[in-house]
Amino acid sequence: MKEVPMSTCEREFILKAIRDRKRIDGRQTYDYRRLKVSFGMERGCCIVDLGDTKVLAQVSGKIEEPKKNRPTEGSIIINLELSPMASPAFEPGRPTESGIEMNRILERNIRDSRAVDTESLCIVAGEKVWSIRADVHVLNDEGNIMDAASIAAITALSHFRRPDVSVMGEEVTVHSPEDRDPVPLSVHHMPVCVTFAFFDQGEFLLVDPNRSEERVMDGRMVVGMNMHREICTLMMSGGMLLVKEQVLRCSQIATVKVAEIIELIQRALDKDAQARQAGEKCGFAESVPTNKITTNRKEATAIDTTAAAQQASQVIQEAGPVDKPMSNMLVQAPGTVQIGEGLVNTWDVDDEDMESEEKEGREKSVTNGREAVATSKPTERKRPVKAGEGTVSHAEGSDSEEEETVMLFQGDDETKSTEEPDSTALMQPSNSDKPAKKKGKKKKAAQK
Amino acid sequence: MAVHITLPESRKKSAAPDAPKHLVTPGDVITTDTGYMRGHGTYMDDDKLKASLAGVVERVNKLICVQPLKTRYNGEIGDVVVGRVTEVGQRRWRVDVNSRLDAVLMLSAVNLPGGELRRRSAEDELMMREYLVEGDLISAEVQAIFHDGALSLHTRSLKYGKLAQGLMVQVSPSLVKRRKTHFHNLPCGASVILGNNGYVWICPTVDDEKVESSGGYEQDLEPVPSTDREVIARLRNCILSLATHKLMLYDTSVLYAYEASRQYQVKDLLQPDIAEKVADDTRQRLQMESG
Amino acid sequence: MAGLEIISDQGYRIDGRRSSELRKVCARMGVFTQADGSAYIEQGNTKALATVYGPHEVRKGRGKIQHDRAVVNCQFSMATFSTGERKSRPKGDRRSQEMSMHLRQTFEAVIVTELFPRSQIDIYVQILQADGGNYCACVNAATLAVIDAGIPMKDYVCACTAGFIQDSPLLDISYVEESAGAPFLTVAMMPKSEQIVLLEMNSRLHADNMEKVLDLATQGCKDVFAVLDRHVRDHVSESHALMTAS
Repeated sequence: MKEVPMSTCEREFILKAIRDRKRIDGRQTYDYRRLKVSFGMERGCCIVDLGDTKVLAQVSGKIEEPKKNRPTEGSIIINLELSPMASPAFEPGRPTESGIEMNRILERNIRDSRAVDTESLCIVAGEKVWSIRADVHVLNDEGNIMDAASIAAITALSHFRRPDVSVMGEEVTVHSPEDRDPVPLSVHHMPVCVTFAFFDQGEFLLVDPNRSEERVMDGRMVVGMNMHREICTLMMSGGMLLVKEQVLRCSQIATVKVAEIIELIQRALDKDAQARQAGEKCGFAESVPTNKITTNRKEATAIDTTAAAQQASQVIQEAGPVDKPMSNMLVQAPGTVQIGEGLVNTWDVDDEDMESEEKEGREKSVTNGREAVATSKPTERKRPVKAGEGTVSHAEGSDSEEEETVMLFQGDDETKSTEEPDSTALMQPSNSDKPAKKKGKKKKAAQK
Repeated sequence: MAVHITLPESRKKSAAPDAPKHLVTPGDVITTDTGYMRGHGTYMDDDKLKASLAGVVERVNKLICVQPLKTRYNGEIGDVVVGRVTEVGQRRWRVDVNSRLDAVLMLSAVNLPGGELRRRSAEDELMMREYLVEGDLISAEVQAIFHDGALSLHTRSLKYGKLAQGLMVQVSPSLVKRRKTHFHNLPCGASVILGNNGYVWICPTVDDEKVESSGGYEQDLEPVPSTDREVIARLRNCILSLATHKLMLYDTSVLYAYEASRQYQVKDLLQPDIAEKVADDTRQRLQMESG
Repeated sequence: MAGLEIISDQGYRIDGRRSSELRKVCARMGVFTQADGSAYIEQGNTKALATVYGPHEVRKGRGKIQHDRAVVNCQFSMATFSTGERKSRPKGDRRSQEMSMHLRQTFEAVIVTELFPRSQIDIYVQILQADGGNYCACVNAATLAVIDAGIPMKDYVCACTAGFIQDSPLLDISYVEESAGAPFLTVAMMPKSEQIVLLEMNSRLHADNMEKVLDLATQGCKDVFAVLDRHVRDHVSESHALMTAS
């Protein structure tokens, strides 16, 4: 199915937002969406969530004859599958051009950069070697498949364990996992791709474009890099022109991003290893939070509220002190409203009524407070890439809503202290929320 | 099989011409003066007029364009073209004229057999295939140019219409010189249509009266005598040799080439050295006359 | 690679070049009569042939028609005899499909396609002998062919490779140097404005060395441009003189 073309108005809106240095999902220019790595029951299986983009990678191995010209090297095959399940734009059957391109980037990034030692995959030179195959399936395409796929592929490869093999003379024995512990592949380094999207002939650039940004962009550049700041692959193409400085700048940004991503992968891997060692439950089922509505859930995004806060404070400053109400009002008697003089009050005022009104008001403010808490949550849980434990792995499973709504302000200080100083400014909830929230909290305390 | 071998010949380079002054290649800055108008083969890039083609800069008052050596045919209204029908459509034929898009010949822009001028009826629409089918060659004139660059043709004159027996040669459109007339009855006994689009049609000379009566759609399928055929074949080889040696094609040059080739056999004209000699002789003769 | 020294102590490479020296470039334009434009190029032992057809009516796959610009269609193939081992599939494998796509993207960026709405431009490139830098030879040959066909383009596109072997950047990598496993960068750029049209890199290269290699590749592209430009000028002035003489 051909993709429905984007409306001009939407396209213009996105472009205009980008020119104003804003992104439609509220991220900053160099922000990644929330990244989550979870592992399956089996070794070598992992799902990577990058925002709403979902990619699954499965690694498998088999023994086969090596290539004639490389008798002592095993082989690594990487296959990227873009099924129509992920997006109606993908045709079933033959891979599309973009699919081939991404597949080649993956191959180049992981295989050609020798991330996995192929010589250690040799069993008997010239006769038997391991052939490792990584199948990367895109489950949901919400933009930037490339990065998600590269993360999934390298994570799955490092998570994979192949059965141990021993050679006794002519005889080759493949040991079952019960017999001998399976051995990991020797992964030298972890190359990860970072995608840059370019707009307005390369004038504006974004990291990790989402689906709609991808449809608007002029072209993209993919930089594959590892921890040691070595560029493993670099690919720039597609109807746009860049100058050298832009390329170098991208490689610098990539350095920072790659370090963050790899740290996160490493942490996820460690956590999974610990869980497995301790004999705890693992697998995808565990990573799905139970007793929770998972659809329609809004992921936390970082929102920069400094501008809004500034504007609000400016408004307050400019407004000056509120004029005092007229003090020389003449009150005849309590509960009377006087229009002429000496008339009897006909306004039927009931004390009880007033009380109920007050109550209603109070309740309203309570609900207001809840809303405020809910809306302020995103600001609370920012740090999309290096988000705390909860976001990293399912094993933790600590993002219980109840807890957070109550703990909100106690927890605030803690998170603040771990943040870099400059980002605290972003943490400040927008001014308009503040009074309502406080009120809500007070009421809550009172109710307790 | 006979093998023809020619010895290398010490050929005098025809007086190594000095490079033309205003030669540009893509990306060259033609002028930074903003007072000029942008013509064919140029584009504006931050207030600089740059060339997008390799060729010679031509300036007409304030208009600057770059004339490339070789392109597809760029149609102009009034051009005579030779084309081949590629598709029969709704009330129109599509005609390949070596342009960037197929030209369109509307049913309303043709003279129906018998030369009658009347409203085209539904029957005429059904009979379209009777007049012209895919593969037929026609000669026509450019009537209009659509906004996307496609041409609209017409054959509303008795000299245009379906082409019957003859031979088509394809050359580069830039080699056909624009003249008052592109239909030539050469004294050597054949007619030539030098289409502005680089398609050249060579056919035995027909007398005009016959054409008039047939309306340009009746094909004369009488066998052509072998002498005429030889003339046609010789003309074809001459035109090709002129084209490969980048001589402009018009009646005089074709005729001179024909005369220069008289001393050779028709088949020998296919040999590169003889073809070159013919072209050189023609060039010299033309230069002497203009000279 | 064991026992193979890419750069000698004197600073010469296996084929006797210096580190920032191009291989010999030979080019011919207008080699075929049938095509609208054609060119042949030799860069050392890498030989490529390019033909361009168009702009012409879109004949098959009417769905491709773009109403505001021309469609660029590229096909890359390698002759079966072009490599050391006989190739079984001259085209259609992943590598050539990728190459075709890169060529298409490169030329879509430089050809002024807006001038030819609803039409198509075909670029066919074939490698006759592969000795490293296949993509570069293809781009350079196709550029000449496009110019020969009289299709407007913003600037030349020149491509060049640069590698980083034994701590020094090398220009225009040959097959032997390519297969030594060292990183190399392929750049296609518009030489006059130094705008990069396509950039591709293989193997591992430290980010700090990137600039050096990129600079060298840029220089290489400019050198290639100088050679190509001379060829084009010679070709044009020669043909022009012939045409005006008559």
